[in-house]
Amino acid sequence: MSNDANSAVVRVEGLRKHYGDLEALRGISFEIHAGEVFGLLGPNGAGKTTTIEILEGLRQPDGGTVVVCGMDPGREQAALKERIGAQLQATVLPDKIRVEEALALFASFYQESASIEMLMERFGLAEKRRAFYEKLSGGQKQRLALALAMVNNPELVLLDEPTVGLDAQLRRDIYALIELFREERRTTLLTTHYIEEAERLCDRVAIIDHGQLIALGTPRELVLHSGKGTRLEVSLAQPVSPDRLKQLDAVSDCRELNGKYLLHAAPPAVAVAALVRFLEAEGNALLDLHIAQPTLEDVFVEMTGRRIEEG
Amino acid sequence: MIRWREDSRPQWLNDPMNKWPDGPMTMLPSFRIALMSIKLVMRTKVALFFTFLFPLLFLFVYSGIFAHGNPAEVVYMFGPVVTLNIMSSGFFGLGLQSVMQRERGSLRRYRLAPLGPGTMVLSSLLANYLLELPTIALLVFCAMGFFHMPLQINLLTLLILVTVGTFAFAGFGLTIASVANTMQEAQVYNNVVWFALLFLSGVTVPLPMLPHWIQRFAAFLPATYLVTAFQAIMVGGESLFDHQAEMLVLLISGTFGLLFAWKLFRWEKEEKISTRAKLVSLTFIVPFLVMGFYMNEHGNLAATWKGTYSLLSHEPVAAEEHAAPVQGILLSDFENPEEAEKLLKSWQVLTDVGAPGRSLGEFDVISPGANGTGHALRFQGRVESAAGSDRGAVIARYPCTLPAGATTLRGMQFEVRGESRLFQVRITPPDATLPSPTLTFIPDSDWQTVRLPAAGLATPNPSLRKNIWVLEFRVDGPPGDFQLDIDEIRLY
Repeated sequence: MSNDANSAVVRVEGLRKHYGDLEALRGISFEIHAGEVFGLLGPNGAGKTTTIEILEGLRQPDGGTVVVCGMDPGREQAALKERIGAQLQATVLPDKIRVEEALALFASFYQESASIEMLMERFGLAEKRRAFYEKLSGGQKQRLALALAMVNNPELVLLDEPTVGLDAQLRRDIYALIELFREERRTTLLTTHYIEEAERLCDRVAIIDHGQLIALGTPRELVLHSGKGTRLEVSLAQPVSPDRLKQLDAVSDCRELNGKYLLHAAPPAVAVAALVRFLEAEGNALLDLHIAQPTLEDVFVEMTGRRIEEG
Repeated sequence: MIRWREDSRPQWLNDPMNKWPDGPMTMLPSFRIALMSIKLVMRTKVALFFTFLFPLLFLFVYSGIFAHGNPAEVVYMFGPVVTLNIMSSGFFGLGLQSVMQRERGSLRRYRLAPLGPGTMVLSSLLANYLLELPTIALLVFCAMGFFHMPLQINLLTLLILVTVGTFAFAGFGLTIASVANTMQEAQVYNNVVWFALLFLSGVTVPLPMLPHWIQRFAAFLPATYLVTAFQAIMVGGESLFDHQAEMLVLLISGTFGLLFAWKLFRWEKEEKISTRAKLVSLTFIVPFLVMGFYMNEHGNLAATWKGTYSLLSHEPVAAEEHAAPVQGILLSDFENPEEAEKLLKSWQVLTDVGAPGRSLGEFDVISPGANGTGHALRFQGRVESAAGSDRGAVIARYPCTLPAGATTLRGMQFEVRGESRLFQVRITPPDATLPSPTLTFIPDSDWQTVRLPAAGLATPNPSLRKNIWVLEFRVDGPPGDFQLDIDEIRLY
């Protein structure tokens, strides 16, 4: 990981891509600095995979500038691939290939490669080294895909939805591996539509929707600048109109979601006091109250009017 | 770094026919991927079956049923069996496999590595070839072990034929894989070409049994070149050098196929090939068209092709060993000692015609003859080619005129016995436009009747009857001694 802390390992300017009439990317721009874990967050179909595949050299952009590790992915593919490691959204290997064979085969394609033994240890595959690919569980296949991305000891790691389809425990295993990349100061780009993943793992996040970049910064910066304030999640004994709750002191927004009410408030103490007074006056009762800091989900909802899962 | 204009790139720039693929074509990774592919085949029961057992099934059907287990006919059928195997591995092993990998998405992982399309194509080619060699060895082993097939071919020649054939049909399979957008499309293309080659090129039905127009069409088909080369070398005793033109055409088409596969290689199933690219890839068949037209126009490309082609292009010639003797017109029986002496002088020995060699041949009158007769002719000697040549041959030649009674001619019959090796008998009429019926046989140690049908000669023109007809017994193939006793040569 030889890059200087502030130098851009990835630089994207005005990136455009269309598939027929569909505009997948509408001029997005961002930079990824050496050693940081950068997240591309957005719903399905937002353009995350297209972006990462352009950076990998798998797709040609229709416009804009892309520089990865100082190279043009479209023109210097062979040299670039020596320096990056990538994990596809869906990695497919032959059914009858063994774990250690897959790692050894792919490692043999590079001028410089990592130790296969070390990779199997690190990614928890040592016990499965002789197992056929078809016999691996979903989590093991995903760990193998990540290990394959690391066979050339890359300075930039590109991970496309690394935890999609995995259960909570397996996701946490993958998170631990990505944390390890951060400790090694390995520049990492990951795409995700999981808020928790972006908030927990990423130093900086770019939120994209319909091929446009709608927000960029650290998770904390994005939340602070959202202007939504603290989130109150409230359950009431009797239903009430969200519009009436929105008129309470210090409450800036209120939405009903699955029988609960999501209020954004600043300062939250004033809003809670106003809520209690309102409920007493109405003869209603407070059944449950959660107070939480706003999340990237709130940022996304604020900017698009939709939740990320809604796409 | 490159800047693209805001407006989209012209669509034609995205056509793969307008650019060569990026990425290196490297030998070592190709070899590694090929070895892994072979390992994977060895671990998959279905793949193992189609790679090794299926060809054996064909060998047993062809040799046991079509060739009736007769070693002389098994030799004739061996070429079609090998060609069929090479074709199926090219079309279904290599061609469909490539499309399947693309559809399944397993090529994408390779694409992330510093590998170019050339490396992937080369690895497919290598894997196909390395799997082909043990299969052919198995076929040879089984044909010799179960059917006592005499291996009348130099191993190096066999290797070259298999290599050239595998390369050519790999080109076919790869070209189809390149232009087919889906698995279904590839299967349609494969089946159309496959069945044409299967039934019209002598792979299943010997060409002499097919109508003349099909034989003309067969001259355009690459499988014909391979089958014929095998048969001409293994049965007709010709050399690979005699078939250099066909080998060249197969090599050229294989190279075309490889280049198209490289140029049109697609990693992703979403990438579709343009109609233009499909049309351009049709140039793959140009070498076959040139060869086919030339052969139809001029008959032959090389002198020895003539013999092979005449074998294929005339009336069916079926071996009738152990046939019940028929009463025909006796041409020669070596019974009268004075006549025998005179007859002996009219037989000629030719050795190593047109090629260096040290082969020897001689005649003798022996006693007793076949069927209780007093005498017979013994043709014996040694086939021995010069160093570096595999073309040693000895020919017993008997120029004769037809007896007055020979107005209708259906064939020739003779009694033979001898050592178990391949002999060939041929009648050459005085008119060069008439066919020369030929038969290959392996004699027993006991006397047997062998009949050479010559229906193609039908009723000899009376004016030809007094001209010289030539009867030839030829022995070639592996160096060694030979002996053939001949008696009671009759026309019927």
